[in-house]
Amino acid sequence: MSVAAPGPAALRGIDLARAVRVMLPAVMLVIVACFAAASPTFRSGGNLVHVLINDVTLPALASLGMTLVVSTGGIDLSVGTAADLAALAAALTVTQGGDALLALSAGLAAALCVGVVNAILVAGFGIAPFLATLGILFIGESVQQLATNGGAPIYVVSNFPPLLDRLAHGAMLSIPIPLILLAMLSALTRLLLARTAYGRRAHATGIAPAVARHSGVPVRRVLAITYILSASLCGVAGLLLLATVKSYVPLSGNAFLLDAIGAVFLGTTISRDARPNVPGTLLGVLLFGVLRNGLLLVGWNFYWQQVAVGLLVLVVLGVSFGVRRRGRE
Amino acid sequence: MNDQAGEAALSLQGLVKRFGATRALDGASLVVRRGSLHGLIGQNGAGKSTIVKILNGLLQPDSGSIAIDGRQVVDASPRLIERLGVHIIHQEPMLVPGFTVAEALFLGDEPRLGAGRSPVVSWRTMRRCAEEAIASRFGLALRGDTPLDQLGAAERQIVQITRSLLKAPRVLVFDEPTASLVRSEANRLFAIIRRLREEGAAVLYVSHYLEEVRDLCDTVTVLRNGRDVATLDPARTSVAGMAALMVDRDLGAMFPTRSSLPGAPLLEARGLGRSGAFADLSFTLRAGEILGLTGLVGSGAKELVAALFGLAPADRGTLLLHGRAVMPASPSEAVGLGIGLVPEDRRRNGVALDASVAENATLPGLVRFVRRFLLDRGREQEAVRGLIARLAIKTPGPDAPVGALSGGNQQKVSLAKWLGTGATLFLLDEPTVAVDVAAKVEIYRLLADLAAGGAGILLLSSDLAELRGLADRILVMHRGRLVAELRAADATADEILTAASGGAAGSAPDGIAA
Ligand SMILES: Nc1ncnc2c1ncn2[C@@H]1O[C@H](COP(=O)(O)OP(=O)(O)OP(=O)(O)O)[C@@H](O)[C@H]1O
Ligand SMILES: [Mg+2]
Repeated sequence: MSVAAPGPAALRGIDLARAVRVMLPAVMLVIVACFAAASPTFRSGGNLVHVLINDVTLPALASLGMTLVVSTGGIDLSVGTAADLAALAAALTVTQGGDALLALSAGLAAALCVGVVNAILVAGFGIAPFLATLGILFIGESVQQLATNGGAPIYVVSNFPPLLDRLAHGAMLSIPIPLILLAMLSALTRLLLARTAYGRRAHATGIAPAVARHSGVPVRRVLAITYILSASLCGVAGLLLLATVKSYVPLSGNAFLLDAIGAVFLGTTISRDARPNVPGTLLGVLLFGVLRNGLLLVGWNFYWQQVAVGLLVLVVLGVSFGVRRRGRE
Repeated sequence: MNDQAGEAALSLQGLVKRFGATRALDGASLVVRRGSLHGLIGQNGAGKSTIVKILNGLLQPDSGSIAIDGRQVVDASPRLIERLGVHIIHQEPMLVPGFTVAEALFLGDEPRLGAGRSPVVSWRTMRRCAEEAIASRFGLALRGDTPLDQLGAAERQIVQITRSLLKAPRVLVFDEPTASLVRSEANRLFAIIRRLREEGAAVLYVSHYLEEVRDLCDTVTVLRNGRDVATLDPARTSVAGMAALMVDRDLGAMFPTRSSLPGAPLLEARGLGRSGAFADLSFTLRAGEILGLTGLVGSGAKELVAALFGLAPADRGTLLLHGRAVMPASPSEAVGLGIGLVPEDRRRNGVALDASVAENATLPGLVRFVRRFLLDRGREQEAVRGLIARLAIKTPGPDAPVGALSGGNQQKVSLAKWLGTGATLFLLDEPTVAVDVAAKVEIYRLLADLAAGGAGILLLSSDLAELRGLADRILVMHRGRLVAELRAADATADEILTAASGGAAGSAPDGIAA
């Protein structure tokens, strides 16, 4: 019996599977290199910080929440709603003369409400996450329009509490505070998902809910915690948004939703077993931010930027799914 | 050997298949002759299913050749193989779950209107043909428009088998066809298989039921570590001899000798009931005891286990665990009380196929690895390695996905989950389905050890040999009620079967494998 060398098919399968996992970082490098070559503005340090703060931090916070939710096999369409309601509650508090702490508390409380309602719908009543959070998305939109006379922005230019202002524009050791906040919350979420019993149970719930249940995982509690955490992270994003622009514009948080979903699924491509993970999600958000900024600097308008983002998502996910499926056959 | 065996219908030579570092097949060869019934046996992970999957092109071999009717087959694919008259019934059902019985049966060649020439499918004909096909072969009245997901495992298996029989197969391959079938259905299947042989078909038959293989097959090939180590005549080999060849050593006694002195009552049920499922159940399970439980489909035995694990709580009566009144309302509550369940449907409820061996094995007892909020993965890995060694789980490592393990090894993971969790009450629902003899012996010894360590074990099984060999007492249920409690040592198979069928003596019921 001759012992054959590993077949070419097997070899290719292994190499491809590895290659797919570095695809996202590689695409990132290529894009950064291209823009850096094409645009001097792009490679300036100021621009990088600008991208990080304005285009990445806020969607990244919402994406962290989405990472948790997708891990449990669900989806949260109300990430923007939680952010918006947090901003709305804080803005109203400030216009009523409330101080920064009160505004922050009101904002977080509003976000928490969204999380608790989602938790009740998904974990309590067992409504499919897509539908439950879609309902909250609709209701949240109406609430915002009712509270603002049909969608008028609330400007809080005068008497803007200094503490809130510092939250968005301050720095510690010359690192902008929003970045510090993002780094801390990312690290925490990463730890939670990858290193705690909760994280393991969340993944088990997402991969095989019936097995999780038969193993004594308190599936409903895991789900409840997940939706509340997601909304809370989005609340932080909404408060940062308010502090950055010193005004509340209804429905502006909805911009986070699609980026968050896209980033989480792009992020799964760097994981060995195609699971949502925090580093991957952050890479995804960063990629979106860099791509949009670079295209803007080379003169593409918003609509073409969206086309580029869409193509990127399709190509990366398409290649990844294709390779992984072949590997399994 | 069978003297009517003709020329080779199926010839596999020198098959090699690697999965990463695992050699699933290491030069396996096999020849199945026309008009012969060829058994294929081997331990869990020996490579039996891999051979079957290579044969129909689901997997590509790294080297080796396949010949059908003397012609080399290159680039096998399920379609090509079917065209050559080879039909395969896989270990894991491969039917489209949303389909009805009739659709599944005729998928790909539905009967057409207008004498079969028009493109329009005749649903009515199709339903009628499906019902006839199943009734005539298995004596089973299934409606053609029943969705597959409403069927039990056995009925699904029958649909799958009938689908192959309809195609006038020249070579038929069965990968553990009887694991989910009850006795009478299995007997019908054997009759069908024998008739196919008379008609000149070649049959390859994979099974862990060695008695079944001995009674049915003309020739048996033993596979060990991906290699064919023996081809033998079952008429001249004992079951123990076959088992010894499979594992390359003498297995010794099938069942461990147990010298248990049952201790204090661990679980006491008093008048336990759930409407529509079971009523008025009273029994006691003592620490250190293995209590057998059996009954036909609909006897309420499964429902009792579901109630004890909090899946569908009882609504009447009381339950004492270690003398304390409890009534778990959810599985997580039950697990918190020290109750563990090995469910019957392994792939749906037992193990997460896309998660690793380690993740599966530690899921129920995760908290024991938590140090200051974080999982201590070093200790977890260590514990998992211990479990892999203790149950002799054949896996490339703790991080391999459970889906890559052979069926029997997946079952061991499903059991391993509960070791080390501190569980004191083990509910086992058909724990040795699809498990090879050697692993069965290991599992039986493990259960005996657990009992000796003071655990209580409720063993729900339809394998009478297993019940009589392992349990101390056997509870028999019929129509939701407890109808007999027998001492396992002197209970006869007849006694158990009679009780299970409601005392109607004489007729051996379906549902329990004698
Ligand atoms: N897709 C896969 N990826 C990695 N390893 C695999 C894969 N499929 C099978 N294996 C490995 O190949 C070996 C043979 O598996 P196979 O399913 O053929 O065993 P088997 O003889 O059918 O066992 P059982 O009696 O338990 O069904 C096992 O060690 C298994 O872990
Ligand atoms: Mg198998």
